[in-house]
Amino acid sequence: MRLEIGHFNVTDVVFGNETRYDNGTLTINKEEALAFVMEDEHITHADLVIAKPGDSIRIVPVKEAIEPRCRVNASHSLFPGITGETHPVGDGITHALKGCSVLAVGQTYGSFGDGLIDMSGEGAKYTQFGQKVNVCLVVDTDEEFERHEQQKKNRALRWGAHRLAEYLGNAVKELTPEDKEVFELPPVTKRGPETSALPSVVYVMQPQSQMEEMGYNDMVYGWDMNHVVPTFMHPNEILDGAMISGSFMPCSSKWSTYDFQNNLTIKELYAEHGKSINFLGVIMSNLNVSLEQKQRSAQFVAQIAKSLGADGAILAEEGYGNPDADFIACYVALEDAGVKTVGMTNECTGRDGASQPLVTLDEKANAIVSCGNVSQLIELPAMDQVIGNLNALAEHGLSGGWAADEVLGSSVREDGSIIMENNSMFCGDGVTGWSIKQMKEF
Amino acid sequence: MKQAVLYINQFFAGIGGEDKADHAPEIREGLVGPAMALNAALQGAEVTHTIICGDNFMGSREEEAVEQILGFLKDVEFDIFFAGPAFQAGRYGNACGVISKAVKAAYNVEAISSMHEENPGVEMFKKDLYIFPGGKSAAAMRKDTKKMAALGDKLLVGEKNLQAETEGFYPRGIRHQIWREDQKPAAKRAMDMLLKKLAGEDYQTELPIPKTDRVPIAAPIAEMPKANIAIVTTGGIVPVDNPDRIQSASATRWGRYDISAMPRLEGGAFKTIHAGFDPAAADADPNVIVPIDAMRKFEDEGKIGRLHEYFYSTVGTGTTEAEASRMAKEILVHLKEAEVNGIIMTST
Repeated sequence: MRLEIGHFNVTDVVFGNETRYDNGTLTINKEEALAFVMEDEHITHADLVIAKPGDSIRIVPVKEAIEPRCRVNASHSLFPGITGETHPVGDGITHALKGCSVLAVGQTYGSFGDGLIDMSGEGAKYTQFGQKVNVCLVVDTDEEFERHEQQKKNRALRWGAHRLAEYLGNAVKELTPEDKEVFELPPVTKRGPETSALPSVVYVMQPQSQMEEMGYNDMVYGWDMNHVVPTFMHPNEILDGAMISGSFMPCSSKWSTYDFQNNLTIKELYAEHGKSINFLGVIMSNLNVSLEQKQRSAQFVAQIAKSLGADGAILAEEGYGNPDADFIACYVALEDAGVKTVGMTNECTGRDGASQPLVTLDEKANAIVSCGNVSQLIELPAMDQVIGNLNALAEHGLSGGWAADEVLGSSVREDGSIIMENNSMFCGDGVTGWSIKQMKEF
Repeated sequence: MKQAVLYINQFFAGIGGEDKADHAPEIREGLVGPAMALNAALQGAEVTHTIICGDNFMGSREEEAVEQILGFLKDVEFDIFFAGPAFQAGRYGNACGVISKAVKAAYNVEAISSMHEENPGVEMFKKDLYIFPGGKSAAAMRKDTKKMAALGDKLLVGEKNLQAETEGFYPRGIRHQIWREDQKPAAKRAMDMLLKKLAGEDYQTELPIPKTDRVPIAAPIAEMPKANIAIVTTGGIVPVDNPDRIQSASATRWGRYDISAMPRLEGGAFKTIHAGFDPAAADADPNVIVPIDAMRKFEDEGKIGRLHEYFYSTVGTGTTEAEASRMAKEILVHLKEAEVNGIIMTST
């Protein structure tokens, strides 16, 4: 399988008469783009707002991020099973607007898994989306059944953002990329003696899938990850739109669709493939509720790794708390199968840093890359402009915000300054590989 | 100039060794023993007082010792508290930890000590105060004191969020996120770690998992009617005068008591000194914790060969795994010598 991703490096996004890309500038015909978004009858109101690095802008509640892309010489949709019929991906040419993202932002209502992004000041460092040109799709919908629920599926908004990402991506469909990345990985048994002699490595992903009711979990080709047992995937599928993010997990732990499209660990494994390792591919697992489900998934992962002849594995979980049990169970199953494993996770050590880092530990989990503390308290000054609704942080049950606290007061203060837990920093812990944070002893 | 106080034991105060270990707490103005090295190393503070206490006094009369010392400090102006270095001396390490924790809580000052990694005081108190890895003996005095002083100077000028790795003190179990200066992303860190793990090279996990000591279950006793059975308890049952001065919590001491002539333990002769539960029932009938009465019955019925002539006792509450394991090893010597075949462990 060979995937070529052509890059168009976006430095500016402006509104204009025509949706087009020229020399680093993406121009959006706002009216046309919004009309396209509004084709979904559940979207009752929509707006587009641009947020650039350095702007005094705070964006909240953010529900999803997507890199705008299009397919070249192919007719299937960017996210098969989501925005079109299911179709295999990962082979062919895709064009991508780099350095920018489409954000799905609630116009009024937030939910548990939503996050916050600051575009400048101290807050901008907490998420990589603080350093991107963001096209914010700000939307209200008719999804009355969940309007006042803490957990929301946010379906219309998320699907709208996925469609918008493809609409914008189409601006570069016919253009010649400025540069490109090529991801090519032959079948496992057809790699030649030199590569096959290197230590074989799998990447085990545990995307979020703990909601028993459908509509909240990450999806693979439009299929809810709660309904899968672990399976073997080509890494190009992950990079090319097979996976989309869900709407459930505390936000710093979240893997947005952008994180799947740009999974840095997959890129790192590719970089070492044929040099120091033989990158076998991805074992796509999940996260579960009951112990039996957790054990079943761990058992499947270990079996697939072993059957493939994996010597090593990188294992990553999208979440903390209960998912730590899946993470450790899978880690132990891999080690027991003789697969040398490195885990990637964040921690929940509490505001004072003194709590046990994961809810369950095992001595076999002896190599872990640790990307952040979900419960870190963060205090930030007001921004000039808010995209979305700042009060959502305090009032709508976001995992890192609160309406009232005896000592700290509300997360959102009258002057627009905020105090929150890292939990609600949008995809802030970068467990898919981009975190430059690390946990240390103090 | 800021002011510091140092705690040392009777030995380092030059009063004497084991024979003087019952030395009662005292405070002296100025520098005694290690205080001189500490004072010389400290840039931002002067050591104004030295507190001295015998290790046994602190070990067996902890509450009294702490109360007295906190009393001494009432009229002393000080900004930081030091204890030790305690090197490999277990009781001294315990004393440094106990008093530092108490002073820190009572006077809201930082406390710093130094102990060799095998000193049980490290496990017991590393979460409560800054403890530096130190040498085995007083030969390391100058080196160990320097480290304590250097951290003291930083804390005194208000430096915050000091990392265990960079400063060198034992990790305290307090974990926070930092931004890496080299901005090395998690994906690269994971790959480097994996390549090292695959190659069998050393690597450093970013989340060290504490070791749990799992002990394999022993083989069953073949012939119970011939077995010599002992009772070991962490329930704190001792003769009423607590002759071994076992602590009521965070115990570092144990005792063994001859029961060869006793059909049962009598209330009034034995009691519990365990501070973690209501002692009324155990004081009235110590057999509810150490069931000598029931064991004698088994002996009469021939269910066991005999009851070992001593029972062994310590206190389990707050006692660290490290201390418990040390005490067990010491007790085991006696049990093996007496050819004990099996042990019944009782708690509270």
